[in-house]
Amino acid sequence: MSSDWSSFSYIVVNLARQIRPGEIAFSGVNSTLAMLACLLAKRAYDFHFTYLNVAGGVEPVPKTIPHSSSDPALVEGSPAIFANEDFYDLCARGALDLVFLGCAQVDGEGRTNVSVIGEWKNPKVRLPGGGGAAVMMPTAKRVVTWRTEHSVRTLVEKLDFVTAAGNLQAVVTPIAVFRKRDGRLALESRDPQVTLDEVIRRTGFKFDASSAKLTAPITVRERAALEGLDPRGEFASAVRA
Amino acid sequence: MTLVAGLRAAAYGVPFQPVGGVHGSDLAALNGWRKIQDPYGSGQEVYVIPAISPDVAVIHANEVDEHGNARVLGSPFWDHPLTRAAKRVLVTAERLVPSESLAAQPELTLVPGFMVEAAAVVPRGAWPGSMHPLYEVDYPAVEAYLRDEDGVLEAHLASAPEQNNVGRDS
Repeated sequence: MSSDWSSFSYIVVNLARQIRPGEIAFSGVNSTLAMLACLLAKRAYDFHFTYLNVAGGVEPVPKTIPHSSSDPALVEGSPAIFANEDFYDLCARGALDLVFLGCAQVDGEGRTNVSVIGEWKNPKVRLPGGGGAAVMMPTAKRVVTWRTEHSVRTLVEKLDFVTAAGNLQAVVTPIAVFRKRDGRLALESRDPQVTLDEVIRRTGFKFDASSAKLTAPITVRERAALEGLDPRGEFASAVRA
Repeated sequence: MTLVAGLRAAAYGVPFQPVGGVHGSDLAALNGWRKIQDPYGSGQEVYVIPAISPDVAVIHANEVDEHGNARVLGSPFWDHPLTRAAKRVLVTAERLVPSESLAAQPELTLVPGFMVEAAAVVPRGAWPGSMHPLYEVDYPAVEAYLRDEDGVLEAHLASAPEQNNVGRDS
């Protein structure tokens, strides 16, 4: 792995960097990159946080890293089962600090669509739905989303459907990190290999870039943790550039 | 989570269940979900989800006894609200065990037999999904099943391990 970011390393590491000491963080279904981010943070950072996942795991220590972020392997080593009803209720009562929620589209206000592309009644693509997104996004303290494709069809001015709205605070793409400021997503940092013009060109919503920085390089520990989680590059190869 | 709210309403025997969140989502209008004012005066508006009572719930358990008492190991996912909300409950299980072994740790029984209409012993019954702690997801089988081609469904059904006496070692 070179010192340059790949799409894969950029997304996973920058998701991991969203986790703060002492937090309770959660990854859900169809969220392999967020699962990897949580497992990476456990290996690369010295602070403690509590990792919960949709399989019901609490601080799991999986023997192998599953393809699916809802695989029961994510309960291995867990001293408790904290399954669906429990973590949704935890979130609903405002006690879940950080929730990673996937999306197909995100708009400039940080709302997401996981429901449909096109009209609901005449869809171009019927998407799997939000899982608990409509409940979790307004009630979690912070929500972070990601997209493996940074384009005007994924980062949009207007969503085809608003699945969830609320406390989305950050969006991580293969080239950039956006953070909500005054109700709008603003560019926080970008991959140094990418120009600001490219980020603007590939983003469908207008955003403030006035305080944007270059993303800090991947650290030795982050790289080692990522290689440990994906020694054969299987996860990395699944993320297109 | 709104689905669970609906299941909980049915399980609790009430017509609707308040749920946190949902504010700002198009799903509310799409599904006709209403919101109500807190009648106790907090000023909060809360969405209420109508009761969902499935005609039949089918769950796969690790162990079942001859009375239908079903033990589920590992994460129960939605099994608890689902079995309480449904009008009828059917169980498939990896293996049949004597009632005494369930009675030794009754807290592991997810559904008591009086709620269960019928049970079948189906080893590897969760395939190609996983059954903690016996077997993991069969990812190649899942990927093969996902192909949108003629004959895929038939091949999937024909390769079901329980049809071929595979995995009857548990």
